[in-house]
Amino acid sequence: MDPSEIKKILFSSLKSETDTREVPGFLEKEGVSYSFSPDFGEKVLNKLFSAGLTINREVEFIRSMNFAFYRIALTGVAAIVLLIISIFLMDGSLSLNSFLGLSDNYDESIVCLLTGN
Amino acid sequence: MIKESYKETDERELVKASLDGDKKAFGEIVNLYQKMVARTVKGMLGDSVFAEDIGQEVFIKLYHSLSEFRGEAKLSTYIQKIAVNLSLNEIKRRKRFFSMFSQRGNNEMYEFEIPDYDTEERKDASEIVNKALLAMSPKFRIILTMRMLQGYSTKETAEILDLPLGTVLSRLSRAQEELRIILKKI
Repeated sequence: MDPSEIKKILFSSLKSETDTREVPGFLEKEGVSYSFSPDFGEKVLNKLFSAGLTINREVEFIRSMNFAFYRIALTGVAAIVLLIISIFLMDGSLSLNSFLGLSDNYDESIVCLLTGN
Repeated sequence: MIKESYKETDERELVKASLDGDKKAFGEIVNLYQKMVARTVKGMLGDSVFAEDIGQEVFIKLYHSLSEFRGEAKLSTYIQKIAVNLSLNEIKRRKRFFSMFSQRGNNEMYEFEIPDYDTEERKDASEIVNKALLAMSPKFRIILTMRMLQGYSTKETAEILDLPLGTVLSRLSRAQEELRIILKKI
């Protein structure tokens, strides 16, 4: 279907005078359908009758942790990329010595640092 | 029309049997109404795995509050109210959670996964609907979900959302303005 037709349906759903009873069926024909996994009912019954209520809290906690992990992991990856870029810009290479901070003038600079000259 | 409505006597029997501890009866309620709940929850939260968790919570909450169901309204309306409340709570929870980690502040974190479809045409239709829904602010999104995905009338929408009819009408009008802007970008 033409996307503009879908947009028209979306828009007309918000008009109070529109009879929306046929809209869900129509959208479903266009592939706009929502359903849970096939074993959804089984999962609900298992949660209710097998594991008890504590699972609810566990699910809530795990979901929060998933969100936190996602955010932290992204920040970590961004930090690593920035670190690699800064090493490359400072040392001009990505050798092992550059990563360890052991560039060619390391000895001289450490002597200067220690003697103050 | 997809909207589920069953004979009230069947509903009452299923509820009574569930309250008497008949697991199969409650399983039947889950099977009858899971698609309706999926439309509300996934319309509100996007087609993600988290939406399915909320869907499960809807039926768990229903089971524990079945004794409070007096049969004055349809069971579908009662379930819808639970689905709407849990979806809105989840949106608030996400907002709070993400505001701790990001500078986006009160802006909402929208996320959606577009599932695989048979044809490009279907993908387009679904993409448009999903993107439009998730780009809307929650108070307008819930109204669009009720009207477009569930096929409810304005009066039924007001009843489910526990809002005066006038408020729903005013939100419909404001939601049109928001949707007009969103659809231009999609």
